[in-house]
Amino acid sequence: MAQEPASRQEARSSGAAEGPVSAPLDAHLAPVLDILPDAILIAGADGRIVLANRRAEELFGYGAGGLVGRSVEDLVPARYRQAHAAHRAGYHHRPQVRLMGERRELWALRADGSEFPAEISLSPLDGGRLVVSAVRDVSERRRIQEALERRTRELARSNAELEQFAYVASHDLQEPLRMVASYAQLLERRYGDRLDEDAREFIRYMVEGARRMRDLINDLLDYSRVGRRGRPFAPVSLETVLEEVLAALEPAITETEARITCGPLPELRADEAQMRQLFQNLLSNAIKFRGEEPPRVHVGARREGALWHITVEDNGIGIDPQYAERIFLLFQRLHTQREYPGTGIGLAICKKIVERHGGRIWVDTDRRRGAAFHLVLPESPPEPAEEGSPGGEER
Amino acid sequence: MRAAAVEILLVEDNPADVRLTREVLKEGAEGLRHRLHVVEDGTQALAFLRREEGYRGVPRPDLILLDLNLPRKDGREVLEEIKADPDLCSIPVVVLTTSRSEEDVLRSYQLHANCYVTKPVDLDQFLEVVQTIRAFWLQVVRLPGR
Repeated sequence: MAQEPASRQEARSSGAAEGPVSAPLDAHLAPVLDILPDAILIAGADGRIVLANRRAEELFGYGAGGLVGRSVEDLVPARYRQAHAAHRAGYHHRPQVRLMGERRELWALRADGSEFPAEISLSPLDGGRLVVSAVRDVSERRRIQEALERRTRELARSNAELEQFAYVASHDLQEPLRMVASYAQLLERRYGDRLDEDAREFIRYMVEGARRMRDLINDLLDYSRVGRRGRPFAPVSLETVLEEVLAALEPAITETEARITCGPLPELRADEAQMRQLFQNLLSNAIKFRGEEPPRVHVGARREGALWHITVEDNGIGIDPQYAERIFLLFQRLHTQREYPGTGIGLAICKKIVERHGGRIWVDTDRRRGAAFHLVLPESPPEPAEEGSPGGEER
Repeated sequence: MRAAAVEILLVEDNPADVRLTREVLKEGAEGLRHRLHVVEDGTQALAFLRREEGYRGVPRPDLILLDLNLPRKDGREVLEEIKADPDLCSIPVVVLTTSRSEEDVLRSYQLHANCYVTKPVDLDQFLEVVQTIRAFWLQVVRLPGR
């Protein structure tokens, strides 16, 4: 070590050595203080700085030895100075250790008049005659935090806009669609007997196309509603939900001779309408994607700590493992309309609902036959943030 | 059945939709004479109902079929004004719209709509809906002044 640090050390402690209070600092500790990443200041009851480490001099922009002898109020922006002095007096009366973790964020003033946000921890020293403070510049952290908050706000807004768009587009699309479908049907109704078989077939395709479009629009609406139109969570009995879903699926169950069994199902905090939609989608899939035999579906649940693990298993055609992820994406379909009609939105809705409830959904790919969907839902999920805009704008 | 034709006011801005409603009303209406009056927006609807300039001498409708999304003054405002007007509030208003939105349903009833019907995409279903509306409002219930 060269001469410089020694002279700095001397310069910094000189005030202390000659003043009424002496810096209670062993000469060996000075180099330790100088390598600390935080600024360290020691001041007397009168606010006079008796010691400052190298980082303190850098941070506040004073040269070597420039801080010792100054008042700590010199490091506080003018608008806080009075309050700071009062606060300091109070601290000397009741000194206590206050750590950085407590996050006392203040503004600090540099020699050149600029300011930075600082986090400060304090500790009494020498029986309370002195106070040691550690000061950390948190501008960077604050900048990152603000950027993150800004990004989050932008994301929430663009999400809300997207859902609003899907919703409005769906509504406005219904009108022209109704016209196409209705007039094609009116044509067939009024002129059917004057048309030949080809013409009637063309009309059938028009009507079919329009119906499919209607299903797509309605499903898209449902999808966009999951985030926008969700309700606050309340206690929901999944057994009741299942009973209602089974009642709604009665025609399909009868038609396919499906047998659906349920183990004991829990009660959890959730959006009841969305739980109904979730299980209706899963069960109607299980019935729809049936194999040769009548569908057999079992819904079971088991507790895993604060979570409920729910399974929906069937004996249907199953899912090729390579598509295990893709089936949860919007408009992803594995079959032609002729084989299994559908819009490819159902499972995307399921995933959105489960995620809104802080849960997870996946499909078991390790099965010889049938499909098994797994859901993990928290018994008491945190309330979801309201994603959409207020209902007034809706049409 | 009734001697005088039933007067229906349809508030709808889409001509294709107007024609469709007209066609569907014609079907299966044996023994029930009706006259359909059509206005294209909310402002015209209120002018018609109040028999203002351009609508002098028009009959008072027995039933109003109201779309919600209209240019200028929309269906919600029309509904609100009709139900706040002591001369008009007794005319039954059927909200007939493409919107399936729960907010629209709730808001319409809060504004005292007499019923709310979503127009189906399918013609057969639409036929059924219109016939049900006609049967209920024009044959089953007794309306004021008839």
